[in-house]
Amino acid sequence: MKKQVLTFKVNGLSHDAIVTPNMTLSELLREELGLTGAKESCGVGECGACTVLVEGKPVLSCSALAIAARDKEILTIEGLAASVGKKPGELHPIQQAFVDYGAIQCGFCSPGMILMAKALLDENPGPTREEVQEGLGGNLCRCTGYVKIVDAVLAAADVLRKEAGT
Amino acid sequence: MSHMSASKLPPFEYYEPATVEQASKLLDNHGDEARVLAGGIDLIPRMRAGTVKVTQVVSLQRVNGLDYMRRSTAGGIDFGAMTTLHALERWEDLRVGFGALYDAIHQITSVQAKCMGTAVGNLCVATPASDVAPALAAYDAGILVAGPKGERRVPLPEFYPAYGCTALGPGEIVTGVEVPAIPKGHGAAFLNLVRTHADIAKVTVTAAVVIADGLCKQARIALGAVAPTMFSAEMAEALLEGEEMTHELIRAAAAAAARETRPIDDLRSTAEYRRATTEVLVARALHKAAGRARVSAANWGADRGPSGEGVTR
Repeated sequence: MKKQVLTFKVNGLSHDAIVTPNMTLSELLREELGLTGAKESCGVGECGACTVLVEGKPVLSCSALAIAARDKEILTIEGLAASVGKKPGELHPIQQAFVDYGAIQCGFCSPGMILMAKALLDENPGPTREEVQEGLGGNLCRCTGYVKIVDAVLAAADVLRKEAGT
Repeated sequence: MSHMSASKLPPFEYYEPATVEQASKLLDNHGDEARVLAGGIDLIPRMRAGTVKVTQVVSLQRVNGLDYMRRSTAGGIDFGAMTTLHALERWEDLRVGFGALYDAIHQITSVQAKCMGTAVGNLCVATPASDVAPALAAYDAGILVAGPKGERRVPLPEFYPAYGCTALGPGEIVTGVEVPAIPKGHGAAFLNLVRTHADIAKVTVTAAVVIADGLCKQARIALGAVAPTMFSAEMAEALLEGEEMTHELIRAAAAAAARETRPIDDLRSTAEYRRATTEVLVARALHKAAGRARVSAANWGADRGPSGEGVTR
């Protein structure tokens, strides 16, 4: 099995990493790059906790190969706020809404929820409640019961639309 | 068990061929040691769980010309092996003209799985519980195959010769799917029975009928999760064709379809329950399909009629 040095664009920065074909994207992010925001929970693509965005699309990093993501644009929760020009320590509007609405308890599902919400709002800036529920259908939370999460995403959608002037 | 927590993937060699020919050659050379990687949502967890053991993985992600969606000149729809379920779900032509197929895709819960996963990957996994396979079969979809011996088109039910198997020969890959245009008076309905929406189906049904002059001219009843493979309930279809779709006839056809099943007992349901609910679901799907077929016949060519031959777009 060949080891290769490949280049990955993660959160706007270029990273070189030594990868083998059997390294998953979550292993690359967590173990090689130290980005532990993406959580590996079920490991079989059912819980959504490992969701990151690759080329803007939500990807289950536990079920994606690192080698297949080379040269692609990867966004993790660590880079979300900076991706909209926030300074270190500031939050992205979706993150802020999760805090404001109490949509976080243990926090394990939150990075995946928030990135999935971003993918949803990028595609559909004005979703209905049902569309938010469907959009987060692949993300499991065992604490909050989802109501506050959906409330937070709808609130974030309002903020983002106002910021965009639409 | 697929739910064991994550262990490291076993070692393998990884390839990203640029053409169908290169991919086919790699698969041919490595035989049973090789597997095609499309979205990976099935293969990677299985490799990790050890239920699929391969040493060569051939990714199709950089093969040119496999990610497409287009209207065929005849009015059907064509899509490629790397077209994601998410792209298909958001395709207006599919949603408006092929509603039962849209429903089969839309009800898949995980958006991530639909963004990564491809319809063709779903078909090639060859699980009898696929919701997408019966939906495509009910629309008479053809599977486009390329390999060392050239290209061929396989009608969907024939793509599944046995449990967990496809009709693909050595070195063959699926390059796309063709769904023919739907005729006037066509109606289809997708229904499934699930424990929870995130789970795979206990029973999955797509029925499609063509009604003209008050008679059923063509019937398709494609069933999943109730036999070793997806299949068409041909005896039930034959009962309907040429006849008026009365309540009694639909009940008889649904009973016939249930008799054609070969279900198993497993953790999701007993065989007996699967057979009984097949009858209920087939009857409901036929009623829905017939209702839609009558609307299609009445509105054909009007704004809200289904697309297809004779409709300018």
